[in-house]
Amino acid sequence: MARASLWLPPTLILLTWLSGCASVAPLGSMLPPGGPSRVELLDTPFFPQEDHQCGPSALATVLEASGSPARPEQLVAEVYLPGREGSLQQELLAATRRRGRLAYVLSGEADALLAEVQAGRPVLVLQNLGVDAYPIWHYAVLIGFDAQRNDVILRSGRQQRLLMSWSRFEGSWRRGGQWAMTVLPPGTLPARPSLPAYLDACAGLEAAGMLDAAAAAYAAASQRWPRSSLVELGTGNVAYARGDLRGAVAAYQRGIDLSPSDAALRNNLAQALLDSGCVGRARVEARQAAELARGTLLETDVRETLESVEAAAASRGPSASCPDAAQGDGDAQPLSLPHEPAARTRDR
Amino acid sequence: MFIENLRRACVAVTCVSLLSVAMPLPAQAAIVTTDRAVALEQRGAYVGTITAALARDDVRNRMVALGVDPAAIEARLGGLTDTELAMLAERINNAPAGGDALAVIGIVFLVLMILEFTGVIDIFKNV
Repeated sequence: MARASLWLPPTLILLTWLSGCASVAPLGSMLPPGGPSRVELLDTPFFPQEDHQCGPSALATVLEASGSPARPEQLVAEVYLPGREGSLQQELLAATRRRGRLAYVLSGEADALLAEVQAGRPVLVLQNLGVDAYPIWHYAVLIGFDAQRNDVILRSGRQQRLLMSWSRFEGSWRRGGQWAMTVLPPGTLPARPSLPAYLDACAGLEAAGMLDAAAAAYAAASQRWPRSSLVELGTGNVAYARGDLRGAVAAYQRGIDLSPSDAALRNNLAQALLDSGCVGRARVEARQAAELARGTLLETDVRETLESVEAAAASRGPSASCPDAAQGDGDAQPLSLPHEPAARTRDR
Repeated sequence: MFIENLRRACVAVTCVSLLSVAMPLPAQAAIVTTDRAVALEQRGAYVGTITAALARDDVRNRMVALGVDPAAIEARLGGLTDTELAMLAERINNAPAGGDALAVIGIVFLVLMILEFTGVIDIFKNV
C-alpha cells in the first residue's frame, strides 16, 4: 500500500503529461447551467451481468427505468451475438424500438449525457476500456455524477455502484466513439433534443412497426419543431401505414406548405391520393414530384409513382370522388386532423 | 416409386411456396419512407430497395454464422432501418460489440497499460 502510494504521484504525473494534449475539462465546466451539480438516480434498477452479457444487462436497466419491463435473460436472445461475445449498438436500438420505446442516440458531446441524467434518465454508454488498437468494448449505465468530486456513478458489469473519475470515464467513452443512448417513452423529448437524431429515432420506430408509438413521437416532434417538413412526412407515413389515408393526405399537405419543393412529400401525397381514388389530384402532384425529382436520387421512385398514377388515370379517368380536393392545394388547414387523437394512444 | 415421386413433388411445392413467402414483397406502394427521406436530407444518400433487401439477406447469413438461433433472426432484424441493415451487412464482424468488463484484470491490465502507453506515443507522433 505504502509502495503503491509512492509510485502513484510520478505515474500520475507521467500519464498526465503524456496525455496532456487530450486533457479533459472538469465535469463541472460541462454541466448544463441551472441543473443540480450532483445527481444520483437511485431508483435505477440493477442487473448484474453474466459473462460477456453487459449488453442485455445495461439495456434491461434503461428499459426498466423508462417503465418498460425487461429482464436481461429475455434480452440475450434478442441482442447477444455469440460469435462476437457481445452485443451491437444497432441491436440495442432495435430491441428498444420493438418495445415501443424511442431509442434516442445522444450527440457526441459530454454535456448531453449530463443533461439527460439531470433530467432523471439514466444513459446507456459504450465504453472502450482498452485502447484503440486493442479495444475492450463495454456497455454501462450512467446514473449519476458529482461535479465537486469530479466523478461519475455507473451501473457496470457486476458493480451496482461504480465510482469512476470523470477523466477516466470520459476517456473510455471517447475511445468508444462517444456513443450513448437514452430510452424515452414516446411523446417525451430528450433534454437536448436535436431534430436529426430525433427523426432517426422515430424512423426506427416505424421500421419496427410500432406505429402508435411512432405517431405519439411525431406528435411531440411537431410541437417542438412546427416548421419541420420531415416531421410531417413521418406523420403522414405513419398514418398511411395505418390505412388512415385522410390523415396521411393532411400531413403531407402540411409538409408541402412548409416545403413546397420537396419531391418526397409530393410523391407520397400523390400515392395517398391515388389510393383514396382521387386520381386527378394525384396526377397533378405526381407530375410536380417528377419535375422536382429530376436529376436527384429520388428520380426512380417518383417515376414509378407517376407511372402508376398515369395508368390509373388512363383506366379509370380522373375520379370525381375526391373527398378533400374541393378545399384546394396549399390551404393552410385543408382537413380536419383525424390522426391527432390517435397520436395520443401508445403501444403498451 | 409413386410414393417417392409424390414425396418429391410435395417437397418441391413446399419449397416454392416457402420461397415465395420469404421473397421480399415489392416495396409497399411508392411511398418514400421516413428513413430514406431523413438519410437523403442528412447524408445526401440513402439505401435503395434492392440494396436493403440484399443487406437483409447478408445480415441474416452472418448472424447464423455468428451463432444466432435461425428461428430468432427475423424478429431481431425487425426494428432495424435500411440504413442500419446496410451498415451491419458491411461491419457486423468488426463493429463494436460491447461484452466484457471482467477481463480487465491482472496481466491483461498490465498489457493494456503498455499498449495504452504506446497508443499515446502514436497519438503524439500524429499531432
